[in-house]
Amino acid sequence: MRLSLPRAAATPALVERPSLDRLLWTSGCFTLALLPHVGDMPPWVLLFCFIAIAVRLGLAAGGRNALPASLRTLIAVAAIGLLFAQFRTFNGITAGTALLGLVAGLKLLEVRTRRDVSVMILLVYFLSLDALLVGSSFWLLAYLVGVCWFTTATLLRLTVAEPGPPWPASLRYARLIVLQAMPLAVILWLFFPRLTEPLWRLAESDQGAASGLGDTLSTGDLADLALSDEIAFRVHFFGAVPPAAERYWRGPVLDQFDGRVWRRAEPDTTPHPGLETEGPIYRYRISLEPYPHPWIFALDWPTDWDARAQLTADGMLIGPAPISQGLDMIASSQTRRRETEPLSEAARRRETTLQPATGNPRTLALADTLHREHPEQRDFVTSVLEMIHGQNFFYTLAPPPLESKDPIDEFLFDTRRGFCGHYASAFAVIMRDAGIPARIVTGYYGGAFNRYSDYWILRQSDAHAWVEIWIEGQGWQRIDPTSAIDPRRVDRRLRDEQTAISIANVDLQSALPWFAALRLRADALRELWRERILRYNQDSQQSLLARLHVPNPDGEKLVLILAGALAAALGWLTWQVRRELRPPPRDALRRAYEQLCAKLGGLGLPRAVHEGAEDYATRVAGRRPELADAVGDLCRRYNELRYGRQASRDEIATFARRVRSFRPRDSRAS
Amino acid sequence: MIDLRQAAARRLRSWAARRFGTDVLPHPVDRRRIYILPSGFGLALAALIVAMLIAALNYNSNLSLAFAFLMTSIALVAMHHCHRNLLGLVVDAETNADGFAGASAAVAFTLTNVSGLDRYDVQIRCAEDAVTAANVAGISRRAVIVRVPLVARGVRRLAQFELATRYPFGWFRAWTYVQAVVTLHAAPSPAGEREAAGASRTSAQTLSGERSGDEDWAGLRPYAPGMPLKHMAWKVLARSEEAAVRTYSGPASEPEWFDWHALPGLAAEARLSQLCRWVIDADRAGRTYGLRLPAASVTPASGPVHRRACLRALAAHDGEAAP
Repeated sequence: MRLSLPRAAATPALVERPSLDRLLWTSGCFTLALLPHVGDMPPWVLLFCFIAIAVRLGLAAGGRNALPASLRTLIAVAAIGLLFAQFRTFNGITAGTALLGLVAGLKLLEVRTRRDVSVMILLVYFLSLDALLVGSSFWLLAYLVGVCWFTTATLLRLTVAEPGPPWPASLRYARLIVLQAMPLAVILWLFFPRLTEPLWRLAESDQGAASGLGDTLSTGDLADLALSDEIAFRVHFFGAVPPAAERYWRGPVLDQFDGRVWRRAEPDTTPHPGLETEGPIYRYRISLEPYPHPWIFALDWPTDWDARAQLTADGMLIGPAPISQGLDMIASSQTRRRETEPLSEAARRRETTLQPATGNPRTLALADTLHREHPEQRDFVTSVLEMIHGQNFFYTLAPPPLESKDPIDEFLFDTRRGFCGHYASAFAVIMRDAGIPARIVTGYYGGAFNRYSDYWILRQSDAHAWVEIWIEGQGWQRIDPTSAIDPRRVDRRLRDEQTAISIANVDLQSALPWFAALRLRADALRELWRERILRYNQDSQQSLLARLHVPNPDGEKLVLILAGALAAALGWLTWQVRRELRPPPRDALRRAYEQLCAKLGGLGLPRAVHEGAEDYATRVAGRRPELADAVGDLCRRYNELRYGRQASRDEIATFARRVRSFRPRDSRAS
Repeated sequence: MIDLRQAAARRLRSWAARRFGTDVLPHPVDRRRIYILPSGFGLALAALIVAMLIAALNYNSNLSLAFAFLMTSIALVAMHHCHRNLLGLVVDAETNADGFAGASAAVAFTLTNVSGLDRYDVQIRCAEDAVTAANVAGISRRAVIVRVPLVARGVRRLAQFELATRYPFGWFRAWTYVQAVVTLHAAPSPAGEREAAGASRTSAQTLSGERSGDEDWAGLRPYAPGMPLKHMAWKVLARSEEAAVRTYSGPASEPEWFDWHALPGLAAEARLSQLCRWVIDADRAGRTYGLRLPAASVTPASGPVHRRACLRALAAHDGEAAP
């Protein structure tokens, strides 16, 4: 296709007023870059930006230019003041993004020249990048590359004097440039050295407000989590996988109870004396989703982990900082343990204390009665579990609310409906009342295997609470009172319509196996994306170099490889870019014509690059009059075929035959 | 800053002139002679990319990093495209251009694009204030006129001109110097009220244009560009579609001499301006005239070529050599 080229202005008129058309497209780019920020920018900033777009376009449509300077200054001061009043800082992603949006909106209001519009484009590029600091999905990246393409096409039109190439041609050209940039970008991304430490710590805690386990447990907790389909973490086992009954993922241990809420004591990291772990060693990699706490949910009980984490005395792995970006760790666990040393007096006191304010008198009375009947510790524990199993206790995610000041009494004697939090809490209180050290462990239980990618998914709905009691000679042992409920009385129905919707998903999955399979497949892809792209770091670069058979990969080699690959890619780019300079269609007609030129060139009459066929024939005729007829005829014929009506294949073939049979004698030789 | 840049550009220009000598026109732009540097906008983009990289590295966000690298790569690709926008373009120029002092000379260039690629925003720059931008479609040729302001009378030689482009995004400026001499002939600006001595008898008629067709009628001549339109034989044109002009015999065709020495009492430049005025008036009237200067003379003739020769003689007049 041939572009009809407009006449260029006499000077590069970057200071001319931008046309409505170009303002429209720039506003379009701005809008596209704002859309991903709908969640994270304050709504009034977004509103301001959209109003700015409307006002600027309205002014341009009315043939007027930017707002008067005094009004603009007023708006700018007011808007930025408001923003500062809201955030008290311009540092950090949220405030920074909002500021960037505001500045772009203000810039749009003051756009007077095409150069101003170009600055606007730079702001749009930065807004796009900003969205990726917050979001991390593949689709977001794809969308923003699209925005980048569109923005680049707009910029292309801004730099060429109006009217530039038509829109489809601009878009095609920008697409070509973005595509040619891709290989370079991939090389840079793969081999550019990563920082191990951020350049500076950020003032604010930029954490995704992901839900998850907290460090307290009241009887009604975890019900919301149980409805959440969000992924808490994923686990890949190297080798053997523990049986379902042993897949308890350990989180915060709660050992202080005030009658309603269980809390966590200050973590103690001195190793427990006399601890022996037994059973097969399970080695696995755990990949945690972003989460506002530093807890790493290791398989109960962790025996090996990496230097970033510490193990508390109560068996919980704690990372260095809140896991705001997600975390990967390789760890090992053994699921059985023994503690040979007796429990210290202080610990025993702590783990058996029921504060006077505990209340729940009926529960305590029940515990006393059972303890009198079963003085032996083992019998006592069994009797409590049998009570849960044999009596009319129900498991439900929609229990009636416990509103009295003695919630455990209300649960055990009145409602008898609850889930893991209720049962663990009641069980631990009964144990403590009987003088048996008991504590609540929260964490996750079970997990769903993703057969498409060999890992286990633990969702928030797998959150669980269980109890550990101290058995003399064995140490802390896990008792899961929830599992004692008669399976016939397990009811997953819900409390009301609202939550029914989210659970409907779960039901749908069990009803439609292919739906579940689809979800697993999608999650496998997501995990691959996280593993290969989002978590790509220094270690991944080292293993990439190792896979490329680079001996002793280190930072220096990385830079060398980056330089080499970049040089190669730039070489390729140069070739690619120049290739388009060649005359376009090397069709049969052109080949025949080039053959003719080559024959004449052999006589010392090469065609000059800028010379048309007719001019060439004239020049040849001047120098070699005896060839004038033949060459003139061929050149005229070439022009007819090239520029006349569509030439048929036969006509071109005839022309090629004539060129082949054209054998001029070299006058210099004779 | 500006001074520094201009000084650097001057040095580069003179280095290029020494290094590459004189170019033969038409001149295809060679890749070894294209220079490229980021523009102010390009430096702004570079600052933006650095900010992007710092943000992405600091937040340890691999996707942001990918986007920042995509921008870096787009800039690198744009640099290659900017360079290519000049590469292989064939430039030709008229080596002489005429004009009057105080006005401008139109230097005619031809840009030939032998590739199939459209080229946008190619600027030809003869002087600081003489720049013209043009788009050249794939496989096409395009005439570009650059108006060079002429400050004073005289002959000026432009030893080189510059081809430049900021396409595609204005981030880079690629340019090349073409070492080819373009001679600018700045004729004196026409002025003066005196009457030419040899033309006194017919000048009133000539200038008023009141000529009765039968008086000095001498026949028809085919029209050539530059002939006075008021002698156009419109009826002939309408009848036969051949443009012709009426010619007249008689005193008006007698050669007149415009003589430097016939203007005593005037300063040199004023004399030249007066002579220029006469030449232009005589040419407009279609008369035959000659020009006599202290160091040169142009034999009587008429028509555009003759007019140009006279104006060039006036432009070339060397004040020092005059008696």
